[in-house]
Amino acid sequence: MIQANMQLDAKGLACPMPIVKTKKAITDLEEGQVLEVQATDKGSKADLAAWASSVGNQYLGTVEDGDVLYHYIRKGSNEPEVEQSFEHTVSLDGIESRDGLILDVREAAEYAFGHIDGAKSIPLGELDSRLLELDKEQEVYVICRTGKRSDLAAQLLANNGFTKVYNVLPGMNAWNGNIKKDI
Amino acid sequence: MSKKVAIIAANGGMFDAYKVFNIATAAAASDKEVQIFFTFEGLNLIHKQAMHGLEMPAGKEHFAEGFEKANVPAIPQLVEMAQELGVTFIACQMTMDVMGLTKEDFIDGIEVGGAVTFLEYAKDAAPTLTF
Repeated sequence: MIQANMQLDAKGLACPMPIVKTKKAITDLEEGQVLEVQATDKGSKADLAAWASSVGNQYLGTVEDGDVLYHYIRKGSNEPEVEQSFEHTVSLDGIESRDGLILDVREAAEYAFGHIDGAKSIPLGELDSRLLELDKEQEVYVICRTGKRSDLAAQLLANNGFTKVYNVLPGMNAWNGNIKKDI
Repeated sequence: MSKKVAIIAANGGMFDAYKVFNIATAAAASDKEVQIFFTFEGLNLIHKQAMHGLEMPAGKEHFAEGFEKANVPAIPQLVEMAQELGVTFIACQMTMDVMGLTKEDFIDGIEVGGAVTFLEYAKDAAPTLTF
C-alpha cells in the first residue's frame, strides 16, 4: 500500500461526487500532505488529475486494484519560489553517475510513482528521526520535486555533521531519465 | 484565466438538470465562482415542487434504472450541494412574471434578476454554458 496521510472513501459514487468529496477532504490536510481517494467511478482518474492541476494540487498517480481506483493527491503543488539557501548544489544532469547516495526527500507516495533508480526514500518530515540510516562519510545528493524541500533537508544534514551534502537542482520535475516505480 | 463560470439553464427536464448541476458543482469544487441563470422551463429545476418530479425525455424513461444503478445523486441533493459550495442561483424575473410565479415558489437562497444581471456577471466569465 502507498503511504498517505488520509483516506477518502468515494467508492460507488458517480460524477461529480468524487471531486466534491475530494475538495472537502483536502481542506483538512496540511500543505504537502497526501490524500488517498478510493473510487469506482472510471472517469475519476482523468477528472481528479484535471481538478488537481486546476486548483493547485499535485496529482501523483493512480493504482488500480480490481474495480477500485486508488488516486493519490498531494496538497498544494505550487511551491513558492524561495531562495535556495544551502550553498552546495549540483546539477541534475549526470546525477546518476556520481559516487554516493541519492536521497529523495519527497513524500513516500511521490517516490512510489517514480524515482531515480537506486535513490533512497526518506520524506523530509521523517529525516530528523532517521539520520542513523545515513553514512556521514558518504556523499549525499538530496533531491525533491523542485529543490525546495531538498534545500531544507540538506541544511538539516549539514547541521547534523554531514559534510559532503549537495542539493540537486532543479529536481524530479525536470528529470527526463529513467524512472523506477514501486507500484 | 477566468475564475468565473456562467450557466444558463433554459430547459426543465431531468437530463437538463443533471447537465446543469453536475457542471456547476464540479466547477464550484474546482474553486470557480459559479452563477446559474434559470429561465423559461429552466425554472423547474429550482421550483420547490417541480424539482422533485422532473421528467425524462419521452421514450427515454428506461434510463431511470441506469441512474439508480450508477448511484447518481438525486437532483435535490445536487442542488443542495451546489448551494453549499457557493453556487449562486438567479431566477429570471421576466419568465416568472409570464408564468405567474413568485420568489416563494422557489427553493430558499435564490436571487431574482433580469437579463442584464446575468450579462454583467457573464461578461468576463469563461466558459459560459447554455443548457
